[in-house]
Amino acid sequence: MNSKHMEKTGIVATKETQNLESKTNGKAVIRIKDVCKSFGDNKVLNGFNMELYEGENVVVMGKSGSGKSVMIKCLVGLLAPDSGYIEVMGKEISTLDRQTLDELRSDIGFLFQGSALYDSMTVRENLEFPMRRHKEKLGYVSDTTSLVLEALENVGLAHTMDLMPTELSGGMKRRIALARTLILKPKIILYDEPTSGLDPITAKEIIELMRSIQNKYGTSSIIITHDVDCARVISERMILLVDGINYAEGTYAQLSVSKDPKVDAFFKK
Amino acid sequence: MAKTTLENLKLGIFVILGTSLLLTAAYLIGNRQNMFGGTFNISAVFKNANGLQNGNNVRFSGINVGTVNKIEMLNDTTILVYMSITENMKGHIKKDAVAMIGSDGLVGSMLINIVPGAGVTPLIEEGDELESVSKIATQDMISTLNVTNENAALLTADLLKVTQSLTKGKGSLGRLLNDTVMASDLQQTIANFKYASHSANKTLSELNGMVSTINFKESTAGVLLADTISARKMRQTIDNLEKSSSELEQMSKELNSVINGLNGKNSFVQYVSKDTTLVFQLERTMQNIEQGTARFNENMEALKHNFLTRGYFRKLEKKEKKNTN
Amino acid sequence: MSDSSPNALVKSKTFRRIKHFFVQIGDLSYFAGRFFKEVFSPPFEFRELLRQCYQMGVLSLFLVGLTGFIIGLVLTLQSRPTLIEFGAVSWMPNMVGISIVREIGPVITALICAGRIASGIGAELGSMRVTEQIDAMEVSGTNPFKYLVVTRILATTLMLPLLVVFGDLIALYGSALVENIKGNVSFQLYFNTVFDALNWGDLIPATIKSFFFGFVIGLVGCFKGYYSTKGTAGVGIAANTAVVMASLFLFIVDFIAVFVTDIFYEL
Repeated sequence: MNSKHMEKTGIVATKETQNLESKTNGKAVIRIKDVCKSFGDNKVLNGFNMELYEGENVVVMGKSGSGKSVMIKCLVGLLAPDSGYIEVMGKEISTLDRQTLDELRSDIGFLFQGSALYDSMTVRENLEFPMRRHKEKLGYVSDTTSLVLEALENVGLAHTMDLMPTELSGGMKRRIALARTLILKPKIILYDEPTSGLDPITAKEIIELMRSIQNKYGTSSIIITHDVDCARVISERMILLVDGINYAEGTYAQLSVSKDPKVDAFFKK
Repeated sequence: MAKTTLENLKLGIFVILGTSLLLTAAYLIGNRQNMFGGTFNISAVFKNANGLQNGNNVRFSGINVGTVNKIEMLNDTTILVYMSITENMKGHIKKDAVAMIGSDGLVGSMLINIVPGAGVTPLIEEGDELESVSKIATQDMISTLNVTNENAALLTADLLKVTQSLTKGKGSLGRLLNDTVMASDLQQTIANFKYASHSANKTLSELNGMVSTINFKESTAGVLLADTISARKMRQTIDNLEKSSSELEQMSKELNSVINGLNGKNSFVQYVSKDTTLVFQLERTMQNIEQGTARFNENMEALKHNFLTRGYFRKLEKKEKKNTN
Repeated sequence: MSDSSPNALVKSKTFRRIKHFFVQIGDLSYFAGRFFKEVFSPPFEFRELLRQCYQMGVLSLFLVGLTGFIIGLVLTLQSRPTLIEFGAVSWMPNMVGISIVREIGPVITALICAGRIASGIGAELGSMRVTEQIDAMEVSGTNPFKYLVVTRILATTLMLPLLVVFGDLIALYGSALVENIKGNVSFQLYFNTVFDALNWGDLIPATIKSFFFGFVIGLVGCFKGYYSTKGTAGVGIAANTAVVMASLFLFIVDFIAVFVTDIFYEL
């Protein structure tokens, strides 16, 4: 509430998180410490820190190419950071073997930027795909139809089961991608630009869906976006990613009245 | 699901058809080279393999019955060729069959032709060795012709030289021809020879005529034969023969002395002996004489056996025996 | 940089290109090595393999068959006048049979497949990479290398020899058709002569060669698609370079195969 408390240094931000930790009273499911990642000469992350607590929604905002996507890809082991420490649900990602990593990944849902539905498969096959390697988690059900239907009903698209992704609109694709993310009942969901490329109304629908999912399953989420409206609606806490570091942290209300020009730039319309 | 099943069905047909086609092709190719089924091995020895290779066909009376297995060089003129023949040909090829190397058309690959023999012999068995005939290959023929041609060219060149030197009076023969004494001597000798052989020939033809008439008479009316006239004629003839033979003997003695002289160290004669034309002529003459003598002997034999003259010769024999005794 | 003449610039450009080439070869070798490592380790994506086999085998059959038929037809028509001049027209089945089975069949089929399959794989995997579908697979617990790359390379490796068999047969049929119409040679005589002319030394190296051709097509297509750079333009580049590189590699492999076969013949 009070913008005076907001500072732009990492040290203060850590204080802030500690405050928040006491407030939410949960344990951290994700810890990121001093992560650096560069592509060639381009330093994308340069000592990024953050934590995600059980049951909270954190929005990470940043400009295009500021390394938001790189950061969450590091979280699921799609990219390996050059240095730093990443811990997800008590396990350090870089030390895991393939099998443990896959097990861990089944607890993390990942909604990709462009939905990333498999073009060559029907909606049903798309939803079944994550179950192929995680049968034990779902109790070895032989008929997956009920699970697929349930997931589709959650996003309100049960009738599209036998369609191909190319027959769907952008919003439908995004919702089906969300259904696919949910099918393994993850504890953490990472949203990479969930509303990008959608019209405002559809975007709002998606955001509503995300909220309802969180209420229903009690997941923790990291939402990456540059859409301020989205951030305002869904965030409990925000992190601004500028110049490869967690430049500022706080609630939407705290950050939106910040005098810092770099922070303020995000909220200007 | 139905779509997947159909896809898999098509894939299955595709894979099975493709694989079976490949295997069929492999089998057909292998079958033609007798890689499957029973075969037995035979061999044949050739002097020249004529470019035969492993895998070349073996034909029996024009049917492909097998392939060449192995070609082994035993020594510089003996090449052992092993062939594997299909089992079902065992009942057809006999031991006296003859193998020869031929080619499949003018530009075709080489092959072995097995030709059935004429006789009645047992059937062929594993490991048998066939008789072989080496046909002269076209190439050999051509190369032989080539050599002949070259030789002919050389000969004509030489001949030209010889005739040139002859006309100019150079060289051994030229000198010889210029040497009048020797030339006349030689001429004389050759004339003598000619005469001798001529008279011998004449006598012999007369005798021949005699014998044939006798034969004729015998066959038609042997009884009518006037014994006395014939006997007289006969005696006369034989006297003639004796005369000519003594003449012949003299001639050959003379000839011998000439030849001895030729072989001797007399310098110009040596030249002569090296002169091919003259030697050739001499040889011809000798051959004529020999032929004459041989025919003479033949006639003499015939006479001896003739029933008309048998008595006379027996008398002669007895005389001889008495003389020797 | 201030003293660098245009010459130095060209030099550095050439240097970078050469370096890029070697890096590509190195990456490709690593990629092939990863394929061999993963192809033998479970889990096996059997259903996807069947699907890819269908896609690459059955669906290429028409194209391969048509090309083969035309090649057989044209080869025979073109050689006829020359062979007639030499009076060796009865050698047509031998000549066409050996050239198709040994060389033309495998190479033409492989080139057609490089055009159809390598570009298809390049574009498909490229777009999957660009739209993060490959990442999505990785995250959902399926090894995308196994699911996408191994199945495709295996499918091309297994299907190409079969396609070559069909292609050869159809090409020979086309050739036999010409001989049948123009030269009064019966199909039976034609194929008898062809099988007479061939031996295992023609068929087996050609079949082994086809496996390598298939492997190269799958490998290059997957490599180009899998490591396609971001953006839709990257997809086009991936498809294009996949065809070019696969065709080039096919000829190199063909050369090596002929060389090795030749050595075996000498032995």
